[in-house]
Amino acid sequence: MAPLLQVESCTKRFGGLVANRDVSLAIEPREIVGLIGPNGAGKTTLFNCITGALHPDEGRIVLNGTEISRARPERVCRLGIARTWQVVRSFGRMTVLENVICGALRRTSRVGPARARALELLAFTGLAGKEDVEAASLTLADKKRLEITRALATGPSLLLLDEAMSGLTPLETAAAVELVRRIHGELGLAICVVEHVMEVVMPLSHRVVVLDHGEKLTEGPPADVSRDERVITAYLGERYRGRA
Amino acid sequence: MALLYPIPFERSGYIYYETVGFLVLLNAMLGIGWNIIGGWAGQFDFGPSIFFAIGAYTAALLSIHLGWNAWLGLLGAVAVSVVICAALTYPVTRLRGHYFAIATVAMWMIAQPIGATWPFINGSQGLFIPVAPGGSFAHGLLTMEFPGRGKGLGFYYLALLLFVLTLVGARAVERSKWGFYFRAVRDDQDGAEGIGIDSRLYKVIARCLMAAVFAAGGTLYGFWALAVFPDQVLEVNWNILPMMAAVVGGLGRLWGPVLGAVILIPISQLMTATLGAGPLAGRGIDLIIYGAVIMLIAGGRPNGLLSLPWARWAARVLGRAPARPQQG
Repeated sequence: MAPLLQVESCTKRFGGLVANRDVSLAIEPREIVGLIGPNGAGKTTLFNCITGALHPDEGRIVLNGTEISRARPERVCRLGIARTWQVVRSFGRMTVLENVICGALRRTSRVGPARARALELLAFTGLAGKEDVEAASLTLADKKRLEITRALATGPSLLLLDEAMSGLTPLETAAAVELVRRIHGELGLAICVVEHVMEVVMPLSHRVVVLDHGEKLTEGPPADVSRDERVITAYLGERYRGRA
Repeated sequence: MALLYPIPFERSGYIYYETVGFLVLLNAMLGIGWNIIGGWAGQFDFGPSIFFAIGAYTAALLSIHLGWNAWLGLLGAVAVSVVICAALTYPVTRLRGHYFAIATVAMWMIAQPIGATWPFINGSQGLFIPVAPGGSFAHGLLTMEFPGRGKGLGFYYLALLLFVLTLVGARAVERSKWGFYFRAVRDDQDGAEGIGIDSRLYKVIARCLMAAVFAAGGTLYGFWALAVFPDQVLEVNWNILPMMAAVVGGLGRLWGPVLGAVILIPISQLMTATLGAGPLAGRGIDLIIYGAVIMLIAGGRPNGLLSLPWARWAARVLGRAPARPQQG
C-alpha cells in the first residue's frame, strides 16, 4: 500500500543555515509517527514545509499521489492535512463553537451543518459545555484541545500535532495522550506528533523519526530508537537508555 | 421610530433635521459597510471614500450620458466599484496590519489627483446631474429626483431604505460562512490558512462588500447633491466618519456603527450649527469640542459603546418594576 504522505529528500535553507537537509520520511494511513530531536533540529521547519507555510528548496512532498511541495497552506488543508501549532493559534475573539465551525466549513459551505458537526466534535474532544466561552479566555490545555478539535473539523486524513502537550501539567498531558489515542482509534487518522516529552512520544508512537541538526539521524520502532547510541548521545541522554 | 422621525419636521416646514437624519442614516450605512472589512476582517481601510466617489461618478455618468434611472445607475455603480475594488485590493492583500492600512491611504491619495484632472469626469469642475421638472413624490422615490419641496423627506426615506437593506445584508453575511471566515482571518491569519481559508480571497471579498455599500451611498449622495465634485466625494470625512462610527459604537458588532452614527453625526451638526456660527465662528471651537467628545468615548470605552453592560442595566431598570408587588 502506498504511503499516505511521502517526503522525499527535502532540503530547506534559511540563508546559510540548513534547517532540513535531505530529509525523507513516509507516513502510512492510520499510523502514529513521533518526530523527535533536540531544539533546532528542524522539526517545526519540516512541519511547515509539509503544510505549505514554507516550501522546500529541494525535494518533493507527495500526499496521496498529489505533489504538495509548492502548495499554499489552505490547499494542503483541503487535500487532507490538518495541523496544530506550537504556539496556539486559536481565534481569540470568537467562541469555542465558532472556532470549530470555521474548521467544519471546510467540508460544507452552510453554517447549519457545520455547527452540528462542530458540536459533535466538541463532545468527542471533551470541550462540551464550553461552546460559548471566548477562545482567548480558555486555559492553555483547553486552547490546545480546541486547536485539535478545529483541525479535526476540517476532515483531514493526516493530523500533525506540533508540541500539543508541551506546557501542560502531568494530568493534562495524560488527558491529551488519551485524546490522541481516541482520535487514532475512533476516527482512524494518521497522526504525526512532534514532542519533547519522551514519556509521551515513546508509548504513543508506532514509529519514531529522529532529527538532529536538520538531518534524519534514524528511524524505527520506539524500543529500537531508544537503544540507539547516536540518539542517546544526540538527544535522549543516558537516563532514557532502553526505555520505551 | 425611524419611519416617523421626519413627520413633525415636515409639518412644521423646517427640514434641516431631515437632512441631519439623512446624514445619520447615510453614515450609519457606510459604517456598517466599513465594519465588514475593519471590524470583521480586521483590516483597517483608511481610504474607503474612493468607492464612494466611484459610485457617485458611475451613477452620474450613466444618468448624464445614457439617461439611466438612478436605481439602475446604483446597480451599475455597485458593479463597477466592486470590480475596481477587487483589482486594486488583490495585490495588496499580501500586506498585513499597518501595511495594508497604509496601502489604502495611498490609494486614496492617488485617487485625488485623478479625480481633479481626468477629463472624462470633467476634472475639478465636476459633473452636474440634470433633474426633470415636475413629478410626484412617489415618482421621486423611483428616480431619486425631487424637483419640488419633498426633497428632504424623499432623501430621508431613500437613505432609510438603503440603510435597512445594508443592515439586513450585513446581518446575513455575519451569519454566513463569509462572516466566520472574515473573523478567523482577523484573529489569526496563519491559523485561518491552516484550516483551509484563503486569507487573500476573503480580504478581497470583505473589501468588495464594503466597496458595494460605499458605491450605493455615493450614488445616493450624488443625486442628493445633484452634482459630483472630486473634492466633495473624496473628502476625508467619507473615510473618517464611517470608521469612527464603527469604532465609537463597537467595532465588529452589527449595530455598532449605527449607534456610533446616531451619536456622532448629530453632535457634529449641532456643534457646527451652534458654535460654528456667531461670534466664535471660524475658530474651530466646534471641531475641538467634537474631537474631545470622541476622545472621551475612545479613552473611556475602547471597545465601543455597545460593549457597555446594556443588558444588565436594562434588566435592572425593567426588573425592579415587576419585583415590587411580590414583596408586598
